Amino acid sequence: MALELNKLTAKIGELGKYAAVRNRDLDKRVEIARTVFRSVAAAPGEIVRVAESVSKRFRWAGAIPTEEPMLSAFDPVSRPARLNVVAADGSQIQPDRHNLALYYVINIGSIVFRYGVSSAPDVFRHPDAFFEDEELYYEDEGSLMTTEMINARRDVREIGELARLGGIEMRTAPTVALLDNGLLLYISLREQNPRFGDEIVREYLAQLYALKASGAVVAGVVDRPRSANVVRLVHLAGLEEVEIAPEKLREVNRVYKHVTDASLFNFLGSGQRSAVFVLASPASVGEYADAGHKIYFFFLNTGESGNLLRVEVPEWVASNKEKLDLVHTTIVAQCKTNGFPYVLARAHEEALIKAADKFAVDEMVASALANNGVPFGVSLKQMNKNLLSGKRRYR
Amino acid sequence: MTKVHIGRSQRSSTTGFVFGCSVPAPEVPLFGSFVRAPIQQAHADAIGLIYDITVEDDQFVGPMISADDKMDEDEYETYLQDQRRNRQVPIEVSVLTVGYRNASRYIHALPPQPPMLLDKIFYCSDEEIREFTARFDFLQLILASAEAPADQLMASALTKAASVQADKEQFLKAAGRELAILMGRDLNRLQQLLRRIAL
Repeated sequence: MALELNKLTAKIGELGKYAAVRNRDLDKRVEIARTVFRSVAAAPGEIVRVAESVSKRFRWAGAIPTEEPMLSAFDPVSRPARLNVVAADGSQIQPDRHNLALYYVINIGSIVFRYGVSSAPDVFRHPDAFFEDEELYYEDEGSLMTTEMINARRDVREIGELARLGGIEMRTAPTVALLDNGLLLYISLREQNPRFGDEIVREYLAQLYALKASGAVVAGVVDRPRSANVVRLVHLAGLEEVEIAPEKLREVNRVYKHVTDASLFNFLGSGQRSAVFVLASPASVGEYADAGHKIYFFFLNTGESGNLLRVEVPEWVASNKEKLDLVHTTIVAQCKTNGFPYVLARAHEEALIKAADKFAVDEMVASALANNGVPFGVSLKQMNKNLLSGKRRYR
Repeated sequence: MTKVHIGRSQRSSTTGFVFGCSVPAPEVPLFGSFVRAPIQQAHADAIGLIYDITVEDDQFVGPMISADDKMDEDEYETYLQDQRRNRQVPIEVSVLTVGYRNASRYIHALPPQPPMLLDKIFYCSDEEIREFTARFDFLQLILASAEAPADQLMASALTKAASVQADKEQFLKAAGRELAILMGRDLNRLQQLLRRIAL
């Protein structure tokens, strides 16, 4: 064993004490946030106007209340007897310059679950390999695609798969498409490479539009949400309008340090959803809104051990009560197994690339290189890693 | 020769190996099947018989069991069908090595080397089974095994091998004679085994 655990004993003991103190402090801040949230909800006054104004003037990832009272708790409606639920998820093998060859693989797994039909769900797997220069490098300087860029390409394929399945399944019954993530792509993508970021967001929005055009309903599901959009709204409510400035808005990180939105919605009963809020982040109220897909969100108590999900929907779902109810009731129905949508767990399982799969792909790559007379080999660094860790990795 | 592998070696010794695979429920390997695994840098193959199949713990199944009373029968059936038809069941399969094949012939003895970790495991083709069971010396290795249920494994293997022979009856008669030599001192056991292979 390389790690001498006895040398960590004292520090790990301190970790426990530190966590206990931190939790006590956090509880105090959560209680304050809940009190302010209740008072803002009871007398919203100008908060909607102020929040909208702030979201236009500053980069502020807060929440804007909608017509639904902020402390609302909605029960699910009855599930339609015939209903289709589709889900997609993806995983990838990242390019590794120490490996036999430079390539990456994206695998998309998906499932179609049909209520009211006595047949097994359909499952799909769509693996693809990328190895050409224009797929591996960006810009002219030949920089290798970053992990975040490849993840973004995977995200586009996931939503593309939902659009494909949504278009098919809507022919037979109302269809809800679920994604195991929020609906906004990573913001930092543009900072790395604006052209690539623009292209990815354009493709992503096109797939969202395809879903909308199909008549299917889409929602992004986030388990254990750490978001603090409503907390930012609570913080904003405590500021005088004249003092609102970027540095004042950033004080939320100190005043409500580590307080999450989820802690504000502990009043939701089993199966209930919260009010819907507008996600006021720059991308949501910017280009997503311009394309008709401004992002809204709500919280949902799945009923299993009080598990709270954050559910994101585009504007065309949030503004249509029938569609919103359908998302709500579908997720509650799908959470009956263990508190998390079954189709998302299964799509993940179908998508997952395991260590043995990666090993098999490497074998295929070696064979393809050998068949074409291309000399190959892993780097000495990788070879040594394999030698030192190989057996323990697999057993 | 069967080209599609059914799993990969997880651990091995010269007397046997264990391989893992994930397959839908209808494709779970069968007890007594003949399998082969590459040895000696794929210059030879170890030949073995599946003698134990373990369906590994799957944490996804627990919640499915408790979800039974949370939904109506039709709804639950859809989940069940997904679990049974679509999901890959994680299986650990134990194999008793009963011989090997080098470049020229089959040898009914322990191989010089076991399969290496993550080596591909294949079912033996009908032709390979016919060639391997042209003699019955491999039965001694089964009888000598401390881990495998010898009598049931011999019965299953011989039944499987008989099913791919041109003259099934002749094959089983020859096998019966071999068993009589090997187990002549234990007539009760021999009799039970002969009943199992329906002689």
